[in-house]
Amino acid sequence: MKFPWGDDEQRKKELKEEIASHLQMAARDREARGESPAQAGESARRELGNTGVIQDVTRDQWAWTWLEDLLQDLRYAARTLRKNPGFTMIAALTLALGIGANTAIFSLVNGVLLRPLPYAQPERLVGTTEYYPQGALEVMREQSRTMELVGVSDNGEFNLTGSGDPVRLIGNSVSADFFSVFGEQAAMGRTFQDGEDQPGKDQWVVLSHALWEHRFQSDPNIVGRWITLEGVDREIVGVMPADFRFPSPKTELWVPLHMDPRATGIYWGDSYMPLIGRLRPGATVQQARTEMKIMRRRVLAAFAWRMPDESFADGTVVSLEDAIVGDARGKLLILLGAVSLLLLIACANVANLLLARATTREREVAVRVALGASRWRILRQLITESVLLSLLGGALGLGVAVGGLSILKAALPADTPRLADVALDGQVLAFTAVLAILTGVIFGLVPALGASRVDMTATLKSGGQRNASGGNHRASKLLVVGEVAVSMILVIAAGLLVKSLWILSGTNPGFRAESVVTARITPNEMLCEVPGRCLAFYDELLNRTRALPGVKNVAAVNGLPLGGGAEIFPIEVEAHPIPDGAKVPMFWEKIVTPDYLSIMNIPLLRGRGFTEADAAPEAQAVLIVSKTTAEHFWPGKDPVGQHIRAKWEPNVWRTVVGVVGDVREYNIRSDSASWIDGVMYAPYGAHAIRGSGADAPPAEMTLVIETAGEQVQIAGDLKNTVASLNHDVPVSQIGPLKNWVAEALAEPRSISGLFAVFAGLALLLGAVGIYGVISYSVAQRTREIGIRMALGARRQEVLLLVMGQGAKLALAGVAIGIAGGLTLTRLMSGLLYGVHATDPVTYGAVAILLMLVALVACFLPARRAMRVDPMVALRYE
Amino acid sequence: MKQRYQNRIELLQGTLDLLILQTLRWGAQHGYGIALAIRANSGEILQVDTGSLYPALHRLERHKLIAAEWKLSENNQRVRVYRLSAAGKKKLATERSRWAQISQAIAGILGPAGKESEA
Repeated sequence: MKFPWGDDEQRKKELKEEIASHLQMAARDREARGESPAQAGESARRELGNTGVIQDVTRDQWAWTWLEDLLQDLRYAARTLRKNPGFTMIAALTLALGIGANTAIFSLVNGVLLRPLPYAQPERLVGTTEYYPQGALEVMREQSRTMELVGVSDNGEFNLTGSGDPVRLIGNSVSADFFSVFGEQAAMGRTFQDGEDQPGKDQWVVLSHALWEHRFQSDPNIVGRWITLEGVDREIVGVMPADFRFPSPKTELWVPLHMDPRATGIYWGDSYMPLIGRLRPGATVQQARTEMKIMRRRVLAAFAWRMPDESFADGTVVSLEDAIVGDARGKLLILLGAVSLLLLIACANVANLLLARATTREREVAVRVALGASRWRILRQLITESVLLSLLGGALGLGVAVGGLSILKAALPADTPRLADVALDGQVLAFTAVLAILTGVIFGLVPALGASRVDMTATLKSGGQRNASGGNHRASKLLVVGEVAVSMILVIAAGLLVKSLWILSGTNPGFRAESVVTARITPNEMLCEVPGRCLAFYDELLNRTRALPGVKNVAAVNGLPLGGGAEIFPIEVEAHPIPDGAKVPMFWEKIVTPDYLSIMNIPLLRGRGFTEADAAPEAQAVLIVSKTTAEHFWPGKDPVGQHIRAKWEPNVWRTVVGVVGDVREYNIRSDSASWIDGVMYAPYGAHAIRGSGADAPPAEMTLVIETAGEQVQIAGDLKNTVASLNHDVPVSQIGPLKNWVAEALAEPRSISGLFAVFAGLALLLGAVGIYGVISYSVAQRTREIGIRMALGARRQEVLLLVMGQGAKLALAGVAIGIAGGLTLTRLMSGLLYGVHATDPVTYGAVAILLMLVALVACFLPARRAMRVDPMVALRYE
Repeated sequence: MKQRYQNRIELLQGTLDLLILQTLRWGAQHGYGIALAIRANSGEILQVDTGSLYPALHRLERHKLIAAEWKLSENNQRVRVYRLSAAGKKKLATERSRWAQISQAIAGILGPAGKESEA
């Protein structure tokens, strides 16, 4: 470890010469005093000692000594830590919790928010915030000068039939140049070529690596094989690499869009999808945004029908990363904020431990100062010690992070974007290392500054007496107040979230979930193209299912509540004319068989429900609307007998025959999406309206089966029943409706669960902090307490004195925490439901909880103080 | 062997530095001269070990408290001569007052014991 500058050899030579000159001078002096030359040389050499060793130890001084000092400091620090195993363990574990939690959350943030998308030049990729139909895509693709635009449908489902059991695969319809815009090549075979999304040229499919591996046993000759998807034969042209998973990790295959301008309803109406673009060379996102505004007019002009003037007005272009991550960003940042607060508490705790220890080390420091160590040197020594401690904590924290991350990944909702990209990688490890070092410096600095400012003379003079340094104790009190304040903020946040979750899980979704099993039945869409075939299929299926053991009743619906799907289309309400260019009301339509309302316990408020007869082609077209819809369109009037029609069916008025209770159709928080104006029910049959305008009822339905109890197992029977009717119809997602409802709560549950864990840790650390400071202060004041007792203070008074001291600190912390909570929890109001960010009940309850915890933490040392024997205390020291 | 020297350096570090700086206050001097001066000025009590002296000189040089150059001695011998730098002068002043403090403190502790033995 020699010095890295200059030329070593020259200096070595000079040093040799320097020592030699010393020797010569010494010898000459001896000669002058009368010794013989030989004797003089000999004794001078003996006096000097081993010249080799002298040169060696001198050369050591040239070395890069800060590094050597560091090593020496490290050795010394390691020795000190080893000598105090209790202290070291508590401090390292505290830090491990803080650093580990931060590492786990940071790896989430890194994977989801920070890591660039794994595509060529990801910063040039953009996405639209709006959905557009195929017709709009075509217009914009031809006109855009700033972007190459492609369309990617939302995840769709495809039946794979004809090879083994029919299965349901998840796939996306994409523009022919989708892969080239991403700059992705197939791992095997090819992707789509130009024009392969045109009708008649689109019979291709590209497989995901996972699908190829699992379903096709990694068949090396897969390219060129034909498979049947949704009843359509397609040739497998390629397999993508394993790391290509766009738009979602669930995607198992890609098929080309079917861009057919003649199918007006689909081309302009039923094919809404987000668009992805790659900025052309030189173009900026800003230019693309401006261009989108200009193109919007042209898109509206090109539409097959008159669109409301403000359609797509909010549509803009954002970086693809933003488009993917969406509102997960805010949630992740809130989590990151929460764990950094936790780390802050851990730091304060360890700083406090160090402060308490610094007092006992005053003499050690004073002795070192007396021996010539500079203040800077002592500071560095102490900081080295705390950094070593936090590195130890960081190493343990990695273990915490590994465990925490796997729990996190399991606890977070599966649709969290980019969850698959999350891992403890090099970047995360670097983050942890930097975090640990910074942490060490932060919590070590205050105690080290205090300790190195030691008054050497006073300390040495005071001999064995402990010198209660007021400065340190003030600092540790401040730390505890801060710690309580930060814990308070975390616990308030957790309290608000838990209360939201509690209110959410108590909300009535508008239907009953007990003793209902659901199953998705997904025949190919073609089944319904022949009039009546679908109707007959479901009629028979319902009849046979109803006869299964344990089944009380069964009905079908096009999609379950809580986001299971519905038909969406614009409508017109009789006597509610819409001015040209104004927004047309959009409705959700649930297509149901007659028993759906009764099985789901959705209350009929007015009029009648559906009957078998309503399904017939010759029957009158009827509808049921939800309560809110009725109140919105016909306030104060009887909705029964009113008329509604689909926007594109000018001659078919449908009659409202009933009103039912509201159901949480959209998600657990709201009945419908903000852009939806009403919810209605139509009978499964000839008069069901399809958003696509197709003249047939939907092929894919969900069965809701009322069972005789919670434990009825019908999966096997149901599959056999479906297979006996049609071999090519997959049955999937069989499970209790209760699970579906529980899943709707998955996100709020995972976030409030995380916060509850953070808050629990914060409370624990806060309590340890208060306990530490109060015990320390009791130890320091033993003498004073002894005097008080000798002068007649009663034990209860001593108890109150000590408890009061702790309570004062805790109260100050709580007050600051409330102020901080009022400011910070506002950031998370988006995560709250049914409770305001300043909810006084939560704040009050948390304040009481914290005070209680603080008092319990004070009680133990206070009891110790109470038992002080005045005689012993006075002799102490 | 080397270990033994290092231990001694560590112990003497603060004081030896002070002595060297103080010695150089009277003018530039080579290592041998410094050793002689310390011995003479302490009334032959303090024998500076060469194995401590040169490491100390080179350390002080690296900390820029003293500067070194090669000169010819009166005997026409090439010797390495050290001289106090501005930083070294400042350091000397603070070290001196610190030393005064320590010796006062130690004297304070030892004082009563001295009286006891007298009695």
